[in-house]
Amino acid sequence: MFALLATVSVSAQKYITKNGYIRFFSSTPVEDIEAHNRQVNSALDQKNGDFVFKVLMKSFQFEKALMQEHFNENYVESDKFPNATFSGKVKNIGEIDFTRNGVYQTTVEGDLTIKGITKKVTEKGTFEVKDGKVIGKSTFNILLADYGIKIPNTVASNISKTIQIDVEVNLEKLAK
Amino acid sequence: MKRKILTAGAVLAGLGLIAGIFVYFFLFNKPHTDYSKAEADFEMKAVAVFEEFRTNPELASGKYNGKVLSLTGELTAVEQPDSLTIAVFSYEEGMFGSEGVRFTMLPEYAGSVIAVAPGSTLTLKGLCTGYNETDVIMEHCSVVK
Repeated sequence: MFALLATVSVSAQKYITKNGYIRFFSSTPVEDIEAHNRQVNSALDQKNGDFVFKVLMKSFQFEKALMQEHFNENYVESDKFPNATFSGKVKNIGEIDFTRNGVYQTTVEGDLTIKGITKKVTEKGTFEVKDGKVIGKSTFNILLADYGIKIPNTVASNISKTIQIDVEVNLEKLAK
Repeated sequence: MKRKILTAGAVLAGLGLIAGIFVYFFLFNKPHTDYSKAEADFEMKAVAVFEEFRTNPELASGKYNGKVLSLTGELTAVEQPDSLTIAVFSYEEGMFGSEGVRFTMLPEYAGSVIAVAPGSTLTLKGLCTGYNETDVIMEHCSVVK
């Protein structure tokens, strides 16, 4: 296993999930559009704070089939750019007590890559330690234009220029 | 003459209305593909698809992403995160646990895989959405046999 997730070092302190959740949400006066992806790979290294996730773009599910088609074919070009990735660090990993249940405010910093374009991002979130598991949550916004996603004029009033991203990963300690 | 113009206008308005209804119901609101009824683009062993993605992800992505695959293999496990049911065929142990093919089942087929004992041979069909460096991901899956 390979380039991206391998950045999280092999250690006994690794938490992973293959069923992370990402939702994105666009709201305009004309309509709200959302999509869900529940097959997100994610890993967190408790020791050094390395945090990664990887998303298959074709796994996003929309309410309307036509929206899903436009998303894949016209906006994110998922045949050409099948994945979105994040690779970064939980900056204050040392403040999280993985042995004690609780909710910890965190700042995650790293590289977000969508449609082949990588941008530095710094976002707030929480990690909740619960009975040996870690639930990571964050909500943040991205500008579509930052990632080269162009919305045609004909539907410009239907799709927001800024998209809200919700991330939730229920990470479990990797069995040796 | 006036009557002809009115008649033509009424016909055009009628055609426009029909076109509008067509666009709304059959294009804008067209239903998602029912992958349980879709014909498979490829019928093969699940391990063969996994190996193709593992050894040459770019080539395999071009070949299989967005295609309907009917894959046969041995069931390793069934996972039920949240409301999902995911059937897993595992072929390797990687740095992040088992790796293989993961099938997100359509709700109406969830019970069918839950009832199957690990180690049983299954053929599952669904939409291949790609490879995430650990697993081949299949969505909207049904049980073929």
